Amino acid sequence: MDIFVMDKWTLLIATLLAAAAAVQGASYVRRGVRSPWTMAWILLSFIAQMVLLGMRGEMRGACPLGDTGEVLIFAAWALTICYLLEGSVYRLSLLGVFTSPLVAFLLGLALIPGMLDDDPVHIDHADAWGESHAALSVLAYGALGLAAVTGVMFLLLNQRLKDGELNNVLFKNLPPVRDLSRVVTRLLVLGFTILTLGLICGLVMEKSGDVTKHLVVAICQWVAYAVLLIVEWRRGMPPRRMALAAVILFVLSLSIFPLL
Amino acid sequence: MELVCLGLNHETAPVEVREQFAVAAEQQGAKAKELINLNAIAESVVVSTCNRTEIYIATEQADEGAEILHEHLACDHDAVEMQHIYQKVGNDARAHLFRLVSGLNSMVLGETEIFGQVKQAYGQALEAGATKGFLNKLFQKSFTVGKRIRTNTRIQMGQTSVGSVAVDLAEKIFGQLKGSHVMVIGAGEMSRQVAQSMLSRGAEKVTVTNRTHERAVELAEALGGGAVPFDNWEETLVSADVVVSSTGATEPVLKAAQIKEVRRKRKFRPLFLIDIAVPRDIEPAAGDIEEVYLYDIDKLQQLASEARASREEQLRICEEMIQEEL
Repeated sequence: MDIFVMDKWTLLIATLLAAAAAVQGASYVRRGVRSPWTMAWILLSFIAQMVLLGMRGEMRGACPLGDTGEVLIFAAWALTICYLLEGSVYRLSLLGVFTSPLVAFLLGLALIPGMLDDDPVHIDHADAWGESHAALSVLAYGALGLAAVTGVMFLLLNQRLKDGELNNVLFKNLPPVRDLSRVVTRLLVLGFTILTLGLICGLVMEKSGDVTKHLVVAICQWVAYAVLLIVEWRRGMPPRRMALAAVILFVLSLSIFPLL
Repeated sequence: MELVCLGLNHETAPVEVREQFAVAAEQQGAKAKELINLNAIAESVVVSTCNRTEIYIATEQADEGAEILHEHLACDHDAVEMQHIYQKVGNDARAHLFRLVSGLNSMVLGETEIFGQVKQAYGQALEAGATKGFLNKLFQKSFTVGKRIRTNTRIQMGQTSVGSVAVDLAEKIFGQLKGSHVMVIGAGEMSRQVAQSMLSRGAEKVTVTNRTHERAVELAEALGGGAVPFDNWEETLVSADVVVSSTGATEPVLKAAQIKEVRRKRKFRPLFLIDIAVPRDIEPAAGDIEEVYLYDIDKLQQLASEARASREEQLRICEEMIQEEL
């Protein structure tokens, strides 16, 4: 099969695998038990994403971040790898169930006709700073996205604890609020660090008019995350506010995609 | 081969009778071995916990085996004690064992400790050579049933006592309680119980305060913590993770404003407030502070009774699963 067709099929497979993780995970949660398969589905989706990014990289002859579709796939990949790494380090239950819908959503967006160039331009001269900027920024999105996902988990559990609604499966399976809140902060620090490196690369890369526009937006995001982390570090912040800020800032951060 | 179970439990016998039949945990294997030396008893397992003593035997003739076992027990116990013994045979005994392992016969419905106790009793009997193919197969099956019920039903969901609900909540807020600081306001029995539960789950430090300082010192000593004077306890709020309050005061002892004052010093760490006093000790507005989780006695009791009701509802599903496995 032609590589230009195969990449779409691989994208479809990666999306379906992430969707399967989301649907099956949610159905297990509804039945009151933890799904033993969520991690496996996500791992398979991750492998499909790697194959897909490999194909697109081959087509472009560079890091596959040349169109919005590729950026979305790369962001989904970054989110997935952060989940797989964080999942094994912190062992946060239900994180996969909450992450997989976002991964499926990002991959699903990339499936929309026009998002992925059918015949991507092969890049003969790649700017190393530009490529590093793009790759690091998208990786940062992965960590910041996962911080937002963990933030949503925190907000759900926090509300249940506040309302005293304890006899439900979500309450039973979600990790403790203190753990969730710590993971939100750690992921924000990780994401912010990578974002900073990406931004430095962006400042020294070759620029066109469009790039400058998105760099300005990126700097605004960086400042917002910096202020959040400085406030947390200097005076502390209620965990609920921190989680809410992680979710809102990530949703606002997605606004940069149309500018790419 | 037929299965017979003879035993007594908290529903059929008072503690003074149960203790007469109790077999120490480390003696259960030897007792099982002793029983297979009796006529007609081919295999046996003795399960003895604080709420029950049950003997499972494999025998060629159920009536004969049961009679011999009954006579054996009657040698050491009088007729009044023997009246509390129940007898189950065949599928009744099998279903009884499955219920036992699943915690359906326990005082706290659905509790899981019994699973380990039966496993230990069976392990001892196996090691002592008191079991062979029949009981080995039966007990292995019972563990599978117990696991299946635990995994596929909500029989264990929620806590059924106020103290357990409080500990469960604390663990949902802080994760492990290791290193946590528990502050007790008022030296009542209920506070002592809740603080004790927190300590048993790993809480590290306890500070007690009470209007009568001597009582605070007394309770603090019993809990292995420290006492602070009642007019100077607010500072302890800075380091406390859990506050248990049960004074006889008619006005709130802990007000929202007092917590707001120390929020920054606490770096907005979560604070779990347990108010088990009537009238309430903690101003309800304290629960509106973002990082504060406030539970009063009504809420805790409601949660415990909801969990009990939920477990009762699950009983029917568990019974169906047991019938499928017979």
